[in-house]
Amino acid sequence: MRSYWFGDIDNGVCTPAQGDEDRVLERCDTIRVKVDTGFVPVSVDEACDCGFFADREEYLARLRSVTIRDARRKIVAAFSEGDAELIQMVRMLDEIDEVVNLLTEKAVEWYLVRNPGFSRKYKSMSAKRMVGVMKKERGPLGRICAEIDGLSDQRSSLMQDVSKRTDAVMPNCSALVGGLVAARLMERAGGLSVLAGLPASTIQVLGAEGALFSHLRSGSPPPKHGIIFQHRRVHNAPRNVRGKVSRAVAGKLAIAAKIDYYRGELDPAFIERAQDRIDVVGEKE
Amino acid sequence: MKLIRGTIVSVGEGGVYGERMLNGCRVWDPHRSKLPAAIINGAPLDLTADMRVLYLGAANGTTVSHVADYVETVYAVEFAPRPMQDLIEVARRRPNLVPIMGDANRPEVYGCFVEQVDMIYQDVAQPNQADILRKNLPFLKDGGIAVLMLKARSVDVRKKSEEVAEETCTALREMGLTIVWSGTLDPFHRDHTCMICTK
Repeated sequence: MRSYWFGDIDNGVCTPAQGDEDRVLERCDTIRVKVDTGFVPVSVDEACDCGFFADREEYLARLRSVTIRDARRKIVAAFSEGDAELIQMVRMLDEIDEVVNLLTEKAVEWYLVRNPGFSRKYKSMSAKRMVGVMKKERGPLGRICAEIDGLSDQRSSLMQDVSKRTDAVMPNCSALVGGLVAARLMERAGGLSVLAGLPASTIQVLGAEGALFSHLRSGSPPPKHGIIFQHRRVHNAPRNVRGKVSRAVAGKLAIAAKIDYYRGELDPAFIERAQDRIDVVGEKE
Repeated sequence: MKLIRGTIVSVGEGGVYGERMLNGCRVWDPHRSKLPAAIINGAPLDLTADMRVLYLGAANGTTVSHVADYVETVYAVEFAPRPMQDLIEVARRRPNLVPIMGDANRPEVYGCFVEQVDMIYQDVAQPNQADILRKNLPFLKDGGIAVLMLKARSVDVRKKSEEVAEETCTALREMGLTIVWSGTLDPFHRDHTCMICTK
């Protein structure tokens, strides 16, 4: 018997797929075509001979309607997993950072032209405070700086949203390295399902692709850490054990991602053991 | 292929992705799309009105829309949800384009939708590009054409583009294909080799 989307054909006997398009698709989900041995692809003529369709035109119209429905269904499923929106939130967050920095830089240059006697030297003024000062300027510069200020407020609140959502979507990774770092790792991997499938060694250098490929190509030293460097226990570790800590964190993260994806709930006992292990590695030597 | 003053064009409804129009035809830019790049570089390739094509790695439907302008039917397989949103929109306006959301690595899953085709066109950025083509060969009729747009960077970043191409050529011959033409897509697309085979 040969099974196709529109029905079965068995020695010239045709049995159409029953029900509406959703039922047809449910049936298609179960069909696994044996493409290796004696495979006969769909024949539109044969389907028409069975009386399922009047002609090729009708066949294609019905097929397209079914496959488009199938694709829409799969897109909805892929986007409703919670990590899809988190990825976009992280990307927006990092982009806003960049934009705020660039705009602030330009605004400072502008401010300096308007205030020839001003210099930032010895003033230890953060970018945020600098924007606060420039906001009081009259005219376009002041207005623009107010916008920059508003944008950095948005950034702070988006950061909290990201943390909150990461806690929900990937509780164990989030507990291990913090919401932001966990979210960035997931974003770089392309999804929680992908992250859960990655080996620890890949997680360790996610975000250090430039260094990694230059290592593979020309034998420069391999990167010790990528995004996980942003985690405090990695960047605060003494230089001589940093690679080791980074490896331990990545190892535990690989496990945490798997728990997050397949179980979906926080495992406090695992987190505790993992933290202890990472701390032990960091203390050595 | 249809040419207007040396520019490859296709005849169909425009405005798919902001493409330029020339005498009412859609300009098919070799910088954006690999197929016209291969043709300009001398690939003996012709899309005709009676062809049925299995297109693996359809992405946003940019190239697919042009292919659909030329041929009878295109089965366009794409895996990622984001480009699929665009592909559906392109397919809605082209009755000869069948979008299929599936993994080109797993033809057994979407096999129940696809008929026998005259051409397989494959443009996927995956490490096992030759193997994906092998898995999909059962859809190709005897004497049919397989077009492989090989992206060397996706196969192995450590190797030179030529090395990867050579290995792939061997793999293609081992699966019983005859390589009719092989050439790079320079200067339009870096580190790409186009291979045209017959079954």
